[in-house]
Amino acid sequence: MTIKFNRDETYRDDYTFANSPETIARVPFPFPDDDYMYSMNLEPHVSVGDGAFRAAFDIDEHYISECRDRAITLEKDPGMHYVSAPHMMEAQWDLLELIMESYARDYPEYFTLEREGRNWHWVNRLLEIDDHFTFGDPATLPFEPMEYITRQAQGDWVLQEERDGTLYWGAGIATQRADYSLRFNLGMSWEEFHGPVPLVKEIGMLDRALKFLLRLRIGHPVRRLNWSLTVNPRLEVSAESLPEWAPDRTIVTPENAGKRVYLRIELQPLHRLPRSNAIVFPIRTYLLSLEDIATNPAWARRMHRVLKTLNQELVDYKGFSRYRDAAVEWLSQYDKEHGKEDEGERKAG
Amino acid sequence: MLITGIKSRPVYDLLRPLPGGKRHIVAGQGSGGRAMLRLLDELADLGQQATLLYSEESFSGQNFLAQLQQQPAVELRVYASNQALLEDLKGMLGQARMGTRLYLTGSESFLGTAMQVYTAFDMNRDEVLREHSGTLVRRVWCVHCDTYTENVTQRVYQCPGCDLTLVVRDHYSRRLAAFQAVKADAEVPGELPQAEELDT
Repeated sequence: MTIKFNRDETYRDDYTFANSPETIARVPFPFPDDDYMYSMNLEPHVSVGDGAFRAAFDIDEHYISECRDRAITLEKDPGMHYVSAPHMMEAQWDLLELIMESYARDYPEYFTLEREGRNWHWVNRLLEIDDHFTFGDPATLPFEPMEYITRQAQGDWVLQEERDGTLYWGAGIATQRADYSLRFNLGMSWEEFHGPVPLVKEIGMLDRALKFLLRLRIGHPVRRLNWSLTVNPRLEVSAESLPEWAPDRTIVTPENAGKRVYLRIELQPLHRLPRSNAIVFPIRTYLLSLEDIATNPAWARRMHRVLKTLNQELVDYKGFSRYRDAAVEWLSQYDKEHGKEDEGERKAG
Repeated sequence: MLITGIKSRPVYDLLRPLPGGKRHIVAGQGSGGRAMLRLLDELADLGQQATLLYSEESFSGQNFLAQLQQQPAVELRVYASNQALLEDLKGMLGQARMGTRLYLTGSESFLGTAMQVYTAFDMNRDEVLREHSGTLVRRVWCVHCDTYTENVTQRVYQCPGCDLTLVVRDHYSRRLAAFQAVKADAEVPGELPQAEELDT
């Protein structure tokens, strides 16, 4: 399977990011029903089909451009998008090993890993990297191990350590984070970092999910999907840069929503790490414009119903109160039946 | 006691003598002096002695120094600022041995910054108690320019670091010992959220 990579896309300024029909067809669409509420949507992370669930860590046509966007973000504000507590070094090496093994196994045409004891040789043909280093010795890499390997990986990555019967944020690289601050969240427990999320505690999901994850075993990863909406195909939507991107929320109209509004799908394949006993939370983001979604009529119809009926607390939390109606109106052209049902109900009532 | 719907805000304790303690360090500030006096009585009933650290810095102007000075059989150290107290506490914990018990009382900002100190020494949950006292003012971190502002009482305030008008989010970071604030009119300049007093 050969991927045709888009080498010069931008996720900022002129936003030249675009999906090919093949890429649209392979994204993990996150809505199993016409209405949406948080749920325990965890399933074993086993290889399925030849789409986003085939590899342990999926890459697609955006790999090269996304890695470049990460580098731009990291260089712009050092210390803001990559943070690690000093005691997380063992987990960092665990993560480096997991990503290198997975990429080399799942994409041998692009990545090669050779090992002789602690002497490792890593080749990344997509980014033209060919490095020899000593596993366990950070001085032999140009960055800390987590930053080194995640500069070559799609998606955000958070390392959580297990302590006192809960999970704590120990390290993270987050150049695509949805309106949160990595520096602020570092060191938070499971309950603390979910604090702002509406309803998850109240419906009992938070406690159940934690219990489940504390039982996560090495070699038995699980995956879940999450989602949000954003304006423009912009990856760097951190709390820090809010003044740069929040004004875009006001430009959406029922006419331009198809081009301007993007569904951000997060694929999270969670793995227990062998030496540190930490858990890695990868957040692999897929961006689809509403026009991209409309190339699949069943998706467009479902998306219309989900957005129209979504609990207002979730709309506020996810940050699209200002343009929910415009997005729903644009999508309604793909769901004419739904409108009629509504009218029928009103007449009957 | 401080109880709000903010899930990331620490749930504070009530000071009471911790079992197994061989050395009790009681550190407080401003109106926290009241809880210190109460704890000292309880420790005295158990025949336990304590080292007191008291800072006279106070947002509400409460001062319990005179009463604390009248306590018999305690070592009392007095500081003009919370920062000076915390520096000294850091030194004491660096010398501390097993059996040390730490009691903290005062504003949320004082408790939060003192927690940063003892967390660096990896003290266990059963070795420390924290009691909140005084006003509900918050210590707030500006996500845009990294400035910490003490004694914030309003939902919307102006950052002394970057001059932006900020809105305080109900989200607390123990590592930073602060709430988070972001630009209040980020979507539409000049369109501000409703002004309100915090925690009232």
